[in-house]
Formats: sequence, structure tokens, C-alpha cells
Amino acid sequence: MTLLIQTLILGIALGGVYALMGSGLSLIFGVMRIVNLAHPSLIMIGAYVAYWPFRLSNIEPMFMLPVAAIILACIGAILYRLVFEREARSAKYSEMTVLLTFALAMVVEGMLGTAFTNTQRITSPDYATEAFFLADIFIPKGQLYASIISIIIISALALFLKYSRLGYAIRATTENREAAELLGVNVNRVGLISFAIGLALAGAAGALVSFIFSFFPSKHWEWIVILMSLVVLGGMGSILGTVIGAFLLSAVAALVGTYFGATWSTLTFFIALFVVLLVRPQGLFGEKPELA
Amino acid sequence: MAELATDEILAARERYNQSIAIAVNKKRSLWFPYLVLALLLVLPALQLIGNFNYVIHLTLFTACYVVMASGWNILGGFTGYISLGHNVFFAIGGYFAGMIFARLDISTIIIAPLAGLVAAVIGYCIGLVTLRVRGPSFIISSLALVMIFRIVFENWEFIGGAAGLALPVNDLPVQWAKLPYYYAFIVMAAIAVWVSYKIKHSKFGLGLRAISKDEIKAESSGINTRLYKVLAFAVSAFFVGMAGAVWGEYLTYIRPNIFLIILISVNMVLMCVLGGKGTIAGPVIGAILIIAFNELFVATLGASEINVLATGLIMMLTLIFFPLGIVGTLAKHGKLPQFLNWD
Repeated sequence: MTLLIQTLILGIALGGVYALMGSGLSLIFGVMRIVNLAHPSLIMIGAYVAYWPFRLSNIEPMFMLPVAAIILACIGAILYRLVFEREARSAKYSEMTVLLTFALAMVVEGMLGTAFTNTQRITSPDYATEAFFLADIFIPKGQLYASIISIIIISALALFLKYSRLGYAIRATTENREAAELLGVNVNRVGLISFAIGLALAGAAGALVSFIFSFFPSKHWEWIVILMSLVVLGGMGSILGTVIGAFLLSAVAALVGTYFGATWSTLTFFIALFVVLLVRPQGLFGEKPELA
Repeated sequence: MAELATDEILAARERYNQSIAIAVNKKRSLWFPYLVLALLLVLPALQLIGNFNYVIHLTLFTACYVVMASGWNILGGFTGYISLGHNVFFAIGGYFAGMIFARLDISTIIIAPLAGLVAAVIGYCIGLVTLRVRGPSFIISSLALVMIFRIVFENWEFIGGAAGLALPVNDLPVQWAKLPYYYAFIVMAAIAVWVSYKIKHSKFGLGLRAISKDEIKAESSGINTRLYKVLAFAVSAFFVGMAGAVWGEYLTYIRPNIFLIILISVNMVLMCVLGGKGTIAGPVIGAILIIAFNELFVATLGASEINVLATGLIMMLTLIFFPLGIVGTLAKHGKLPQFLNWD
């Protein structure tokens, strides 16, 4: 029983981070219809932004979170202007961008690999190895802090989308691009901003990931399927769905890891992705089969 | 009176169709592929005057990718279903033939068609499931497939797990050691190109191209789209599996991280995209260019990470500026040189 509760707590503590990693992906798909396969490789950039200051002068990785977010938002704006804007009108846009972002992921991986080599890295602030104890159960501090920060960031994003004027525009574009354009929304600007926000989320997630998982440039192939699985489970484009999908899948993966062995824990995500795509491509909260 | 008119119209249409067929035929230059094939068949004679093992290796490597890219093209180019997971069949072919070679000592060159068939059957079953979704969903599901197979292969002790299996080395003198594989790959490449030509010019190929244009309209005009695309998946898996079979023996070992790395399936996609998806000559040209680029980067820059970077950059630039690929873009502007017009 203790083992079961312990496993669930460990799974849920990771869920928050997965949710933050996936929310940017979901936002970008919702607004732009871009399946951003490069997302995890950009998260990797965020992780390196947090890693080097820690390694060189022991700067707290969480302080680097806003810096990573701003750097990646700038990268996002540039990428959008250079690459994605020109494609926005072409037919088969969505399919095309999958290949484009896939190529982008390789470019980022190659750059990071050339610059920093494929060594495993991790930041190790004190709290990353400590834990709170409640009777027999322990909660690792690093994962708990990271999850709390993730939830705060995602809540801020949700409030922004719900109540600000720009948030209205973004939601309108998500729901119906043509209608939003007719009503005077500058969809191109909305696309640019939401792409930048999506990548800022990736940067923030990267800073948090840096003290939770060990990372190296080519690890993003594994992350992409994990992230796709939770975003697809929740319904592409729905941020609430992504959060729920993240908690659900990371809890299940933790259970599988405890009871069947750690190798099969990652397999949970892959099989979940496969099954969800085939059984219910619109996910739990998607309204129409967008991807099918 | 009315009947007579119909007959005349039908006859006129027949004549018109034939004149189009002849016009297309004139633009084709089928002598060129035959010439290339003939040159490739006598190329190993170079070994008599010196050591050209590197040339042989590069040609063999290119031929291997021609088989795979042409196979991929049947699904990705003709049918329009882009799969990033075709190296799964490369691994299935390699492991099936490799295991038989290791246990029963039957050369993989003989087993290759059988290995291709096994890959095709597995491809058929996978296709029945994954081809129900299209567009981005299909691409993502194919990525998930690679990850699933990678974990399974790495943990399956019977086939060697993550460490893989070493295969026996053949006992030919080093000068001629590559030749059996060389000829096997050249013959397979010729067959792959020929079969994709035949498919493109058959009713089956017409159906596949209709699916890639608009699947719903294709279905409503009486094409059994489900059967067609699953068959296309199986045929493309067949060629990729066959290439994998011989590739395993050529390398003398089989291991998940040789067959199931993402770079192999990316190369297949990139060759078709760069050469021109859905054309016959496209995958061949793409394979030659990409292998040449890779070799150049590895020779001049050394690191494999730069290779990943360069592959990604080439892919991005092609997708942004020439989404139709070399052959497609040239053909669109009417500037395709005759010797590349194999369609």
C-alpha cells in the first residue's frame, strides 16, 4: 500500500513538469496548426541555458528560468518570421510543418551536440537530492518545487488566455482562424506571439528539467514521443487536456515502472500515444478529429 | 444516329489518348538507367588494376539507400503518407535474415526476398492499424512505432538485446569480399526502381496517386483506399526489409542502434524529398546526393554531430525552397533534362 501511494506521488510530482513541457506544444498546435516536433530540442536549449551558469558560477537554475524563457521567446519570434510565416498559406500546411520542425529538431540537436558534446549533464542544486518525509512516504523536493512552479506558470497562462484582450484573440484564432481574421484579429501577429509564448514555455520547462532529468542533445527523440503522447491524450490544442494527460500518464508510467521494471515505464507513453491516435485521435478533450 | 456519334467520339478519344502516350514516350529516355546499370555491373573490374574498395563501398551504400528510398517513395511519394518509422522494417529484415544466417548459415543474400516478405507481412498488419489516421497523426504514430520497436529489440534476449549479434565474416580475399553484397544491392536497386516504375504506370499506382491528392474523392470514385494504402505500405516495407537483410551481413553485426536510429529513416525521407517525391528518378538522385554530402561532411568536418546538423539544414532548405524536390521542380518549369525523365 505504501509502495502504491509512494509510486503515485512520484508520478504526480513529475506530472507537473511534463505538463509544462507539453503546454507550449499544445498552444502552438492550437493556434498555428503546427505540430512542433522541435519542441523538446528547444527545451534542451533551455536546459543548457540553466546548466552553464550553474556549472560555472553556481547560479541557482530557477533564477535562470526567466532568462531561458526570454531567450527562447526571441528564438521563437525569429523562427516564426523566417520559417513558418511563409508556409502558412500553403495547402497541406500541417503535414509540411511536421517535416519542417523535424528537420529543425535535427539542426538544434546538431548545434547543441557540436557545441556541448553528447555528455550527460544535470544541474545539482541542494534541493534536487533532498526530500520531505511524511511518515513512510517521501516527496523529492526538486520534483515538488518544479511541479509547483509549472502549475503556477500554466495557471498564469490560463488566466492570460481567459481574461486579457490578446488572450481573447489567441483563443479566437484557435477556434476558427478565418472567422477571427474576418472579425479583425491580426492572425499573423497572434501566430507570432503565441509561437513566442509557446517557446517561452519550452525555455521555462528546460530550466526546470535541468535539475530533474539528466540530458544530452540527442535525448530529445525520447522526449518528443513522451510529450506528443500526453498532448494527444489530452486533445491537441487544449491546455487543460494537456495538464490532465500529463498527470494521468506520468502516474501510469510510474506504476508500470514500479511493478514491471523501469525499462517498460517509458514504453507506457509510446504505447499510449499509439493507442490514442488510433482509437480516439481527437483525445480526451478535443472536439473534432483535428489531426485525422 | 446517336450510337454512331458515340462510336466516333470514342474512337477519337482513343486516338487522342494514344497520341498523348506517344508524346510522353518521346520525352522519356530509358536508355540512361540501363547505361548506368551496365556501368555499375562492370565497375568491380576496377579491382583488377588497384584497390578501389572505397569506391565499391560507396556505390554499395548508395545502392542500399536507393532500395530503401524507392521503397519509401511508394508509400510516401505515391500515396502521400509520410512515414518516419520505416527503419523498423530495415531492422525487421536485418534481424530476420541475420538470425537465420547466424543459426543456419544460409547467406542473407538468398534469404533477402524472404526477409522482405516477413517485413511486408508485418508492414501489412501495422498498416491495417496505423493507416486509419492520416496527415500529422500518421507521422507521429510512425515515430512512436520506432520507439516501441527500439525498446522491444533492446530487451529481447533471444536476438541479442542491446548488444546485438556478431555475424560470421565471409572468407573471400579482401579484394573481392564486398562483391557478393555489391551485386546483391545493385540488383535490388534495379528491381526497386523497376517495380516503382511499374507501379506508377499501373491502375494500382493511379489509385495511390488519387489517394495522395484527395482520399475522400478517391474513395467515392470507387477505389478501395484502405486496401490500396495498406498494400502500398506492405510493398514499401518489402524493399526496406530486403535492404536491411543484406546490410546486416555486410556489416557483420546486427544491433538495435545500427538499424533503429532516427537518422536512417530521416535519410530515406530526405532522399525522396530532395530528389522529388513521387518521381522514379527522385529517390535515386536524392540517394546519390545525400550519400555524397554525408561523405563530404564526415571527411572534411569529422564529427557526426555536424552531420546531423547538415542533414537537418539540407532538409529544411529543401522543404522551404523546393518542396517538390529537384526532379519535381525542374519538371514543373519544363527544364528536366531528358536523361532524368524516367517517369
